[in-house]
Amino acid sequence: MNGWRTLFPNAWYIAVREYRSRARTRSFILGTVLLAIVAFAATQAPVLIDFSMSSSQTKIAVVVEAAGMPPDSAGLLDSQLNGQLTDPNARKSYVVSWLPADDLASAQKDLEAGKYDALLVVVRDAGTKDLGFTLRTDIPQDGRAVQSITTALASLEIEDRLYRAGTTTGALRAPFPMAVVPVKGPSIATKSISQEVSATLLSTGLIVLIFMAIITYGVWVAMSVAEEKGSRVMELMLNATTPLQMLAGKVIGNGAAGLTQYGVILGAVLVGLLAQGPIHKTVVGTAATVSFGGLSPAVLGAFVVLFVLGFLMYSLLYAALGSLVSRQEDVQSATSPLMMLIMVGYFMSVFGLQAIDETWVKVASFVPFFSPYLMLARVSVGHVEPWEFALAVLLLVVSTVIALFAAARIYSAGVLLYGQRVGLREVFRAARVSR
Amino acid sequence: MSLIIDSVSKRFGDVEALKDVSLQIEPGEVFGFLGANGAGKTTAMRIVLDILRPDSGTIVWNGKLNTDVPRETWGYLPEERGLYAKMNVFEQLVFFARLHGVKAKAAERETREWLDRFRIPEYADRRAEQLSKGNQQKIQFIAAILHDPQVLLMDEPFTGLDPVNAALLKEAFAEMKTRGKTLIFSTHQMETVEELCESIAILDRGRVVIGGSVREVRRSTGRQVVRVAVDGDPEMAWLGTLDGVRVTRRGQDYTEAEVARGNDPDEILKAALSRGCKVRHFEMTDPSLEQIFIEHVGQIDMTERTLAPKAVQA
Repeated sequence: MNGWRTLFPNAWYIAVREYRSRARTRSFILGTVLLAIVAFAATQAPVLIDFSMSSSQTKIAVVVEAAGMPPDSAGLLDSQLNGQLTDPNARKSYVVSWLPADDLASAQKDLEAGKYDALLVVVRDAGTKDLGFTLRTDIPQDGRAVQSITTALASLEIEDRLYRAGTTTGALRAPFPMAVVPVKGPSIATKSISQEVSATLLSTGLIVLIFMAIITYGVWVAMSVAEEKGSRVMELMLNATTPLQMLAGKVIGNGAAGLTQYGVILGAVLVGLLAQGPIHKTVVGTAATVSFGGLSPAVLGAFVVLFVLGFLMYSLLYAALGSLVSRQEDVQSATSPLMMLIMVGYFMSVFGLQAIDETWVKVASFVPFFSPYLMLARVSVGHVEPWEFALAVLLLVVSTVIALFAAARIYSAGVLLYGQRVGLREVFRAARVSR
Repeated sequence: MSLIIDSVSKRFGDVEALKDVSLQIEPGEVFGFLGANGAGKTTAMRIVLDILRPDSGTIVWNGKLNTDVPRETWGYLPEERGLYAKMNVFEQLVFFARLHGVKAKAAERETREWLDRFRIPEYADRRAEQLSKGNQQKIQFIAAILHDPQVLLMDEPFTGLDPVNAALLKEAFAEMKTRGKTLIFSTHQMETVEELCESIAILDRGRVVIGGSVREVRRSTGRQVVRVAVDGDPEMAWLGTLDGVRVTRRGQDYTEAEVARGNDPDEILKAALSRGCKVRHFEMTDPSLEQIFIEHVGQIDMTERTLAPKAVQA
């Protein structure tokens, strides 16, 4: 292993060559552009959801034939249907038009013409004095709209009964004390649903980022090793460099190409998020609250550390496996055991997100092959002590160094073995005597 | 100041690729490895280059073990030719030179110079895959020498080259030799060896069967070759009856005979004159490398060939 002293500059030259030859391919350029477009489009999803929500507006005509309605019945119905809106300009889901009693015939005509989605007729029962309602509509009876209207009318009915019993509207609608506090007292910060959901979404996103990087760019490393073997340029390289220099150069070069692609995609996401506000305003008409989904510096730092180490370890193993085949076509089958391992880790983290405090998640989050996913999931969703994170990183570093030595050994033996797919026994035999 | 290969052995599974090989190659020398396919030539070169490690034995260059010799000492043209197919020729030559520690500017200058010398400057901007095999081979040769190595090891450098390109390569050899480089190459082509090499080693199934300077090797049999032609007697039937003389070839221009160790070739001349023949051509030389090669290596092949039909008959 005399390569240690002189890892650079050769590893650097190799990395530059790998990076250039990778980044110049048409598939790389096309893939990057395509992914950036998809990423940008994805950031505009909230705008699309708001737009489709706002465009589905239910118009209701109300004809009151009953006498003695409580004051501000219209205000009550509106707030019950649309909720307490803070923004007076926001589009309402329900538009309620109150019509005079003698307009019933024309309202019925407008309803049939499609000007309204529903016609509500309010009458008062002569015997019980209770309000009675008839809703004429073709919208589904068990849909959300009919349910909302039913709930709103129940409130109106109750207010009418209390009003008749002599309670004033002011007393009816007076605010009352109500507080929501965490289990351990009001000093603990509360979490909102959107925060919790976005934390889960964020960690899923970050895990997918690591997963995709390892399976995509790791295979690049294996492919480039197999390509050198296939084109027989390997022997020239072996004289000019050491296996360790080649290994380091390939992992760095391909990793950097992968990071470039990621950088472009993340750039598109950032631009998309920044553009979300203005686009929202133009399309929907109101400003949107841009959310970065609880991306704290701690989570970001953990992501970077786990991403780099996880990628390094897996690409070294990919390089070692790539050195065992003679043709690029065989890379897929040679690297499939590694693929299985990566998939297992990925699915564990997907299930682990739902059971973040289970013991098996905690244990697996220290196992080097899985910690890039599971420790990240725990950092972003659950609770992790600093020593736990440090231990996981330490184990990952140690196993990366072991992977480096093992890969360099297998690699220096594997690159000279041509012919059939090489079995483990041949590799071990060759690795014992190689430099 | 020489390359010493000292009792090197290497085994791949059941195959003994090299068995106790010892050689000394002097600096500035042109040295040829001769051997049939699978004789161990490539393995020997890879071990010298420290691409492979021997099971036992050492390689020393200038008093230093080959594991401690800087990599840029060696230039290597592997038998399995290969370049980066999608990379352009100029970039890839500069890349290889820089891996050997040549500064960027010097690498670019040297690359241009060698492309000119091989009369292929227009290929600088082409991708390697667009070049013919012979031209790729020239590029690979340039890749092996750009960093001005002390020792140049080439595995079958002349295979696949047309006569014009082979002549260009021989010119480059001469150039390297005048620069004081040590050249080691393997080949099947005996004429090339006789033309270029000062010393050789014939390898057979991992063993050095004979080695030394070309003169020594050719004289090793103790036999001498006589080529003789006389006017008026093209048959020269008497030639075969002389003591220790064996006719090996009857040609248009002359008849070739071998004179066994201890016999004087002058006897042939005397015999001719005593028969009243007019000697038109008389030449004394050593057996060709080809004959020696076949003697040492071919014997085994022949026994194999004679064994095979017997097995069928039985």
